[in-house]
Amino acid sequence: MVQTMIIMKCYEHKQYKNGLKFAKQILSNPKFSEHGETLAMKGLTLNCLGRKEEAYDYVRRGLEVTSLVMSYQERFDLTRWHVYGLLQRSDRKYDEAIKCYRNALKWDKDNIQILRDLSLLQIQMRDLEGYKDTRYQLFALRPTQRASWIGFALSYHMLKDYDMALKILEEFRKTQSKRPYDYEHSELLLYQNMVMREAGQYEKALNHLDLYEEQICDRQSLLEKRAQLYLQLKRHKEAEQVYRELIQRNPENLSYYHGLEQAAQSSSSEERLKLCQELQSLYPRAHCPKRIAFQCTKEQNMLHGKTSLRTVFNGKLSFLLICILRSCCVGEQFRSHVDPYLRRSLRKGVPPLFVEMRHFYEDPDKVKVLEELVEGYAESLVQRGTFSADTEEPEPITALLWTYYYLGQHYDHLGDHTRALHYINTAIDHTPTLIELFVAKAKIFKVLLHQTNEGCMTLNNLCAQHAGNIQEGVKWLEEAQGLDTADRYINSKCAKYMLRANLVKEAEEMCSKFTREGVSAMENLNEMQCMWFQTECAAAFQRLGKYGDSLKKCHEVDRHFSEIIEDQFDFHTYCMRKMTLEAYVGLIRLEDVLRGHNFYMKAAKTAIEVYLKLFDHPLADSNTIQETNTGLLIE
Amino acid sequence: MSPSQDAVQPTETEDKAQEQAPPPPKPDKLDMRGFIPGYVRCGGTKELGEVTSHNIRLLKRLNQVIFPVSYNDKFYKDVLEAGELAKLAYYNDIVVGAVCCRVDTSDPTQRRLYIMTLGCLGAYRRLGIGTIMLDHVLKYVQRDGNFDSIFLHVQVNNDVAIEFYKKFGFEVIETKKHYYKRIEPADAHVLQKTLRPKIPSTQQNGVVERSRS
Ligand SMILES: CC(C)(COP(=O)(O)OP(=O)(O)OC[C@H]1O[C@@H](n2cnc3c(N)ncnc32)[C@H](O)[C@@H]1OP(=O)(O)O)[C@@H](O)C(=O)NCCC(=O)NCCS
Repeated sequence: MVQTMIIMKCYEHKQYKNGLKFAKQILSNPKFSEHGETLAMKGLTLNCLGRKEEAYDYVRRGLEVTSLVMSYQERFDLTRWHVYGLLQRSDRKYDEAIKCYRNALKWDKDNIQILRDLSLLQIQMRDLEGYKDTRYQLFALRPTQRASWIGFALSYHMLKDYDMALKILEEFRKTQSKRPYDYEHSELLLYQNMVMREAGQYEKALNHLDLYEEQICDRQSLLEKRAQLYLQLKRHKEAEQVYRELIQRNPENLSYYHGLEQAAQSSSSEERLKLCQELQSLYPRAHCPKRIAFQCTKEQNMLHGKTSLRTVFNGKLSFLLICILRSCCVGEQFRSHVDPYLRRSLRKGVPPLFVEMRHFYEDPDKVKVLEELVEGYAESLVQRGTFSADTEEPEPITALLWTYYYLGQHYDHLGDHTRALHYINTAIDHTPTLIELFVAKAKIFKVLLHQTNEGCMTLNNLCAQHAGNIQEGVKWLEEAQGLDTADRYINSKCAKYMLRANLVKEAEEMCSKFTREGVSAMENLNEMQCMWFQTECAAAFQRLGKYGDSLKKCHEVDRHFSEIIEDQFDFHTYCMRKMTLEAYVGLIRLEDVLRGHNFYMKAAKTAIEVYLKLFDHPLADSNTIQETNTGLLIE
Repeated sequence: MSPSQDAVQPTETEDKAQEQAPPPPKPDKLDMRGFIPGYVRCGGTKELGEVTSHNIRLLKRLNQVIFPVSYNDKFYKDVLEAGELAKLAYYNDIVVGAVCCRVDTSDPTQRRLYIMTLGCLGAYRRLGIGTIMLDHVLKYVQRDGNFDSIFLHVQVNNDVAIEFYKKFGFEVIETKKHYYKRIEPADAHVLQKTLRPKIPSTQQNGVVERSRS
């Protein structure tokens, strides 16, 4: 029936209001008032307008009616299953939806629209074998369409059948005509190259890049890949050249430096240092590489036992520092290289200096060197305004301040809280307007809290003194926060301390200075998927014995993750259409490990602990727990 | 430093932060040659910045530390409205000083600028920070063009401040006995820099202009 097809079209184009109008027209005709297909489509449209209950009602009615006439109107069945599938899909019941589509295909196994929808569900559910079969059918039915080829190749790529994937891609590439600056074609070539590299065909991949260089618009990507391939093929000279070009393009990308180092194959620490100094002089202003992930090498693992540097550094080291670390690791040599680095940072006032240095604190010898150096600066700065007796150059007053700040953090890290407080207080006397000092002071109290809080589950278990420490920590962060109320970082930090101190209300209030007006902060934080807050909040409620509230927060976090996975759905069509295939594959792989994220782990751990606790000590038996809300306990 | 009449003295409950803060520094020794040799003017960026509701607590902290009198809420409320007449001074991106002024019309025949506070943290003196703040004020009155004078009060023993202001052409025009209520010495000098002679017949234009503005 033509009109019903129109409603379908409206549905696909999201013109729901129009769709409803047509449905009404048809159904108001007494001859068609029980027209199954139309009823089902109307239900589907209503669903999209948020009228869930009516929606299911119409769809069900549609299905009942059509099943009566099924014997001679198979076409209706096809549609009703398709429609039912769409409905299930919009309710995120993907497994159910797949079943519906499969039923629909029984009536018309070559229905392109249904096959397409089915393939989306299969990739979403990672039914890779099913996906391959469906893509094959689509390919066979529509061999002239671009998407048919791409999807077909991708399905093999996902199954790691690289040869087949590459064959399809190459055949497809041959059919493409060259146009100037065709970005989509460029993306296709890069994707083809990606599959080659994953297949381990480095030689072939390199030739491929050379051959199509002109057609690849994303020059940076091209160079990155080429450099990597040269490295993999041990053509170090060429790799070095490309990495140098890359560094020139962007001196702030640490992975380029790292690649260059590998390419340069410096064997001695002296050589490495020389290379590093050369780069530093070439790009003196490059902040580099600070804060960019740092890849570890075997050799570094040797130096540092088993822990990989990647985890130790957390991507927060400057390039120069890495060089110091890697090339000269002992005694006097360490001193002579770290000394100028420290002076420069203290002179400039680099607040995260200690955070950078903290990675040296695994080695007691280095700690000693650092302590001697910085204590020496402090003494000399007080006496004569220079870092040491043998230098003439006077330092800015702030150098002393940053030196005190460093020493405060240093002793805090070593657990000498008395001395840490002494230095921080001296610094505050010197400059009572530096916000970092109050943050550091709060941290000293937080550490005190954590050392004593171990194993304690509820606030009641904490003795008065420890509670006092939390309060102290919060107090100093509130002080810091007050000095610059526009600083969102301090604001968040303060809220976090409050949560650690189980002051949930206060934390919410603190956050409310930055959340949308007119909505409760709690709600807004959830809306914004502010997960550091939610996980900390769950833990605070857990400590307070408010298990219901705690679980509520955990489930909110879980929902964010579900949502991220749902959101993937749109990309299955979008990326295919836009040809951003490398990025698409990256997304798929990210989604596969999404729930390994720290936030999820934290929330899951809290939830598991709470559930176990409630299992072992059901609420009815416990009179200590007073405040619980029961809403989520049944789940 | 503005008079204590203007200010509310700190009470035990009101001003807890003051307990933590170090005591206000005594006025520096008068030193005609320079400061600790090492610290003589080395690098460092000096800038002025606005006072806003976000950082007003920084100004409070500064004043608590620098001045022996404390200022009431109205003082800080007015400062927020003062625009260019209230500024924070930054040294290497850290707040180390502040200046707050207001227009004084207590004498209807004159329009004068009154410096309520101008100070810099002890550790950052002799670096030219006082100078950039006072320069800013002087430029302001010059651009305005309608001020008769700038004036302020200092404790009679504050040699450093007196020396500082004299360098910019201020003079002691009067000494007020028992000006301060709760600090010793209680007497204050009035320092003033005259910007134009009083009602000179040749400057009628200036008067007309002033009444217009
Ligand atoms: C007065 C004050 C603001 C000066 O600030 P400052 O940043 O140290 O001043 P500058 O570095 O700009 O000094 C400018 C000039 O003032 C004079 N001066 C400042 N301090 C001096 C001192 N201790 N001895 C002698 N002369 C001094 C010098 O001529 C100096 O120039 P020079 O350094 O080239 O010799 C500061 O000492 C202060 O904050 N004092 C406490 C608050 C106060 O008393 N305010 C005044 C009442 S509102």
